[in-house]
Amino acid sequence: MTSKIINWVDRRFPLSSFVKHDLTEYPTPRNLSYWWNFGFLAGFVLVLQVATGVFLAMHYKADVTLSFDSIQHIMRDVNYGWLLRFMHATGASAFFLVIYIHMARTLYYGSYRAPRELMWWTGQGLLLLLMATAFMGYLLPWGQMSFWGATVITNLFKATPFYGEEVVSWLRGGFSVGDPTLTRFFSLHYLLPFLILGGVVVHLIALHTVKSSNPSGIDLAAKDNIPFHPYFTSKDFYGLGIFLIIYCLFVFFFPNSLMEPANNIPANPMQTPTHIVPEWYFLPFYAILRSVPDLVGGVVAMGLSVMVFAFMPYLDRSRIPGGARYRPWYRMMFYVFVVDMLVLGYVGYTPPSNETLMMGRIATIIYFAQFLLLPFISRKEERWLIQRGLPSELKELMASDTAEQNKIQSHRRSGDSK
Amino acid sequence: MKNLIVTLLLCCAASQVWAAEAMLENIKVDTDLPAIARGVDDLMNNCHSCHNLKYITYLNLAKLGIDRKKIDEWRGDQPMDAPLSGLMSDEAAMQSFNLVPPDLSLMTKAREGGASYVYSYLLGYYNTADGVTHNRIFPATHMPDPLGMSTTTDHAQREEIKKTAHDIVSFLSWAADPHEQERYRLGYYVIGYLVILTLLLYFVKKQIWSRLK
Repeated sequence: MTSKIINWVDRRFPLSSFVKHDLTEYPTPRNLSYWWNFGFLAGFVLVLQVATGVFLAMHYKADVTLSFDSIQHIMRDVNYGWLLRFMHATGASAFFLVIYIHMARTLYYGSYRAPRELMWWTGQGLLLLLMATAFMGYLLPWGQMSFWGATVITNLFKATPFYGEEVVSWLRGGFSVGDPTLTRFFSLHYLLPFLILGGVVVHLIALHTVKSSNPSGIDLAAKDNIPFHPYFTSKDFYGLGIFLIIYCLFVFFFPNSLMEPANNIPANPMQTPTHIVPEWYFLPFYAILRSVPDLVGGVVAMGLSVMVFAFMPYLDRSRIPGGARYRPWYRMMFYVFVVDMLVLGYVGYTPPSNETLMMGRIATIIYFAQFLLLPFISRKEERWLIQRGLPSELKELMASDTAEQNKIQSHRRSGDSK
Repeated sequence: MKNLIVTLLLCCAASQVWAAEAMLENIKVDTDLPAIARGVDDLMNNCHSCHNLKYITYLNLAKLGIDRKKIDEWRGDQPMDAPLSGLMSDEAAMQSFNLVPPDLSLMTKAREGGASYVYSYLLGYYNTADGVTHNRIFPATHMPDPLGMSTTTDHAQREEIKKTAHDIVSFLSWAADPHEQERYRLGYYVIGYLVILTLLLYFVKKQIWSRLK
């Protein structure tokens, strides 16, 4: 009976071949570490955010006179409304944490290199959409930090040449952040996640064309690939369990630790909070913005600091595979970059003072210098490594890769098992 | 290089957030009903004349288990689902204090330092030598010393005031997050469930991967 139904569907829709191609026979490198779990986790958090968000929207009211009260209504009167809201608010932080780890893994292992540039760029687009969605969602509770955060960020569009003022009021729907801003942010906050879902589909189609990279950085021979299901489904679900434990610790025990106290005060356009800080996931970029004395320069620097990742496939000119694993200089740069991000985050969090300003400037210079110097360093490092003799482990892998490629000329992609 | 290191160290030491928190007396609020009941009683006597709690209704208090007779006394002829609005009108407040006293429903969540901040603030009043009352936590405050900490010198009475402040803050913490205890209770089950589930998933993963040579 079941096979009859499946046959019926298969003649009209490629169900079985889809399951085969993308799950049960989808070839995945067997040496993937747990750092490769984070793409799946990001997908999971996206679904979680959409699910909790849909239910929150049933009780939320986008109106400057009602939205703060409607959040309190959700927190106090709606059955398990507090759970929905804390899951959604914590979920935003979890989303960024997972995405940043996902990106760090790509940078560390050099997964952005050919033939995976399109994966990296679609990912970059998804990051921008995610940032926009999170930023707009933060206005919705209509607290002090919501209001002033939105005011500060929309103000940045004053940097637009010639039409600065017009663009800012066009974005806000008025001369200041108000009811039109709130309603349009709510509308877009509901729309963008579905654009993200579409982007994820593109990201996955690209992935299933080029297949996963792996820690060695070399396309593995067919024998080293294993089917995604059941091996990586089981591994991803185990990773999901660990993730959920950490996530639920925050949801149930420390949900307020991720929320700014000032956002429990209703928005008051007449009173500026002493210290306006964005959510933690924007802090490094906010620090870069503040480190440049000029508004236009700051906005350009901040935009560049997010977009510069897209150039990685061209900036990294080394042909040594395996990303940072076999490349001591690049590995050094990776760790400097991580520390630099943390320093920028700290600078973005603290109120500006002479010391933090200087710290922020140094960290900003280091941030951009790393990207600018990468082409030269990676070239030089490659020459140095070849001169010094590559590790035998790597030589072996590269040799087996070449042998494999010579054997089957037409199937050079990792995981093509034909 | 040396300068840089010194600067970095100074930055850590100069963090204003730590300085402000160091002034607070860190407390752990009570979550038992008697303490919250004492707290709401003290609040109705000391704070309610000026402050609103617009997200808390008399019905909420009744459901929590506060003595019904007291509730009826407080609400007078207001309905049960009326919020705990203060007795002072906004206009009168503007005249006396030049500002509308803030709503207290979310007070313990709306300040850096939370319940400890509110507790330290309530007890932070002192008199200078020339007889002016100040608050060491919030110097710009417009609120007159509500519990009389600045004028009390007797040790036993001061302890009594501290206890009152502690009860009020305990009630305010409940008011700011009424589902907190329920959240913790549920949280233990959820985490317990997830730990067992994750262990099982680990064994499933191990079992499946053992098929590989």
